[in-house]
Amino acid sequence: MNKIIMDDTTGRDTLQPALAIRNLNFWYGSNHALKDISLDFPIHQVTGMIGPSGCGKSTLLRILNRMYDLYPGQRATGEVLFDERNILSPGLDVNVLRSRIGMVFQKPTPFPMSIYDNIAFGVRLHERLSRTEMDQRVEGVLRRVALWNEVKDRLNASAAALSGGQQQRLCIARTIATRPEVILLDEPTSALDPISTARIEELLDELKQEFSIAIVTHNLQQAARCADRVAFFYMGELVEVDTADKMFTAPHAKRTQDYITGRFG
Amino acid sequence: MMPHESVHTVQSYEQELEQLRSLVNKMGGLVERQVAQAITAVVEHDEEAALDAPEMDPQVDELERETEALVIRLLALRAPMAGDLREVVVALKISGDLERIGDCAASIARRAMRNELLSCPISLTGLHSMGRLVQENLRRTIDAMDQRDPELARIVWHSDTAVDELYVSLFRELVTYMMEDPRNIGPCAHLLFIAKNLERIGDHATNISERVYYAVTGNILPIVRPRGKTFD
Repeated sequence: MNKIIMDDTTGRDTLQPALAIRNLNFWYGSNHALKDISLDFPIHQVTGMIGPSGCGKSTLLRILNRMYDLYPGQRATGEVLFDERNILSPGLDVNVLRSRIGMVFQKPTPFPMSIYDNIAFGVRLHERLSRTEMDQRVEGVLRRVALWNEVKDRLNASAAALSGGQQQRLCIARTIATRPEVILLDEPTSALDPISTARIEELLDELKQEFSIAIVTHNLQQAARCADRVAFFYMGELVEVDTADKMFTAPHAKRTQDYITGRFG
Repeated sequence: MMPHESVHTVQSYEQELEQLRSLVNKMGGLVERQVAQAITAVVEHDEEAALDAPEMDPQVDELERETEALVIRLLALRAPMAGDLREVVVALKISGDLERIGDCAASIARRAMRNELLSCPISLTGLHSMGRLVQENLRRTIDAMDQRDPELARIVWHSDTAVDELYVSLFRELVTYMMEDPRNIGPCAHLLFIAKNLERIGDHATNISERVYYAVTGNILPIVRPRGKTFD
């Protein structure tokens, strides 16, 4: 397997990372799904993760907010450093972690409640806000994801009535409502039409000024459009990470070149 | 250019890239012949060769247009990435350089049969060696392109220095003849234009080797190319 190529001009030397993965290994039972991964997620950048199905990119994303706790038979070694603490250490409060590292999934997952409550629900778990403050928070995040004008007259209507693209923007609003530092997105637009996709991509570009973002995508063009840095995974290994510009014009590793030009996978 | 070691999952994409390579290669072969004919026309006063080179021009132009159309199609429909992207964009640029080389060759051939040159008392040895060198560089450039050989491309890129130097010395020689006898001004002016066109062909060949180097390696050769002596 090729040696990992780290680009130090945009890597840990110049930017304080929001998240730093060090020698991470992960097993599903006896399946060694991630092999000695070290990767930085720089602050206020979008880090894209690409690779064929089963390469470990979604697994990695799920480790970053400890979703692997939900299933038995899984274990991880190594470190994921976030705010000077190891996310993997057993004593960590997972609920607090998940409010600081939010996750958006492939399919929109609105709660079966009103648009307003979809956002207020998570906030109430971590903060005690007055009615006015909560109203402001809800309006603020809905404006942030460019959904406010579309829903301001029906905040009490069920979120299920929204279109797919609107639902996904609502999920992003819900995620940023708890004021996380990092947002994780797992193929956030794969169920959306091109216009909704473009809106989400535009949104990511704005959100990175405030948050650090990690996105898993099968859509290479999307990674090229949205990500500042791109990491390519293959069979549980991190093959190459570099600026999106470099990765899509002149990647180092032959495996990267073959994957992104559509020669396998 | 030669195909990559591995092939695309999508066969029709692979075929289109193959078609692009064959268009550019065909254009390269045609232009190489055009330059050879132009040089033969001048140094051997070969009338047939003199007519031949400009006649190939429309074919070269047509190939350039075809290349351009295919490149736009590939960019729009296949959204090529990485090595493919470099190859597609470079094919477009190379076809432009080849077309310019064709123009230079046609321009040389058109002067070849001028009466001033046919009855010219001046030795064509200098021009002949410059022509041979340019032809050799062009041939190696096209080989580098065909074989996707970055090392060969880099060597040709360097060897244009010799063409520049020959051009400068030829220029001085022709100016001397013109000062010696005003009757030399007519033929020497034509020879100067021919030499200038050869020098330009050398420059375009250099551009092509730069682009081949980039397409294959992803790296860019230094912006400042080593140059031979220039006019002070």
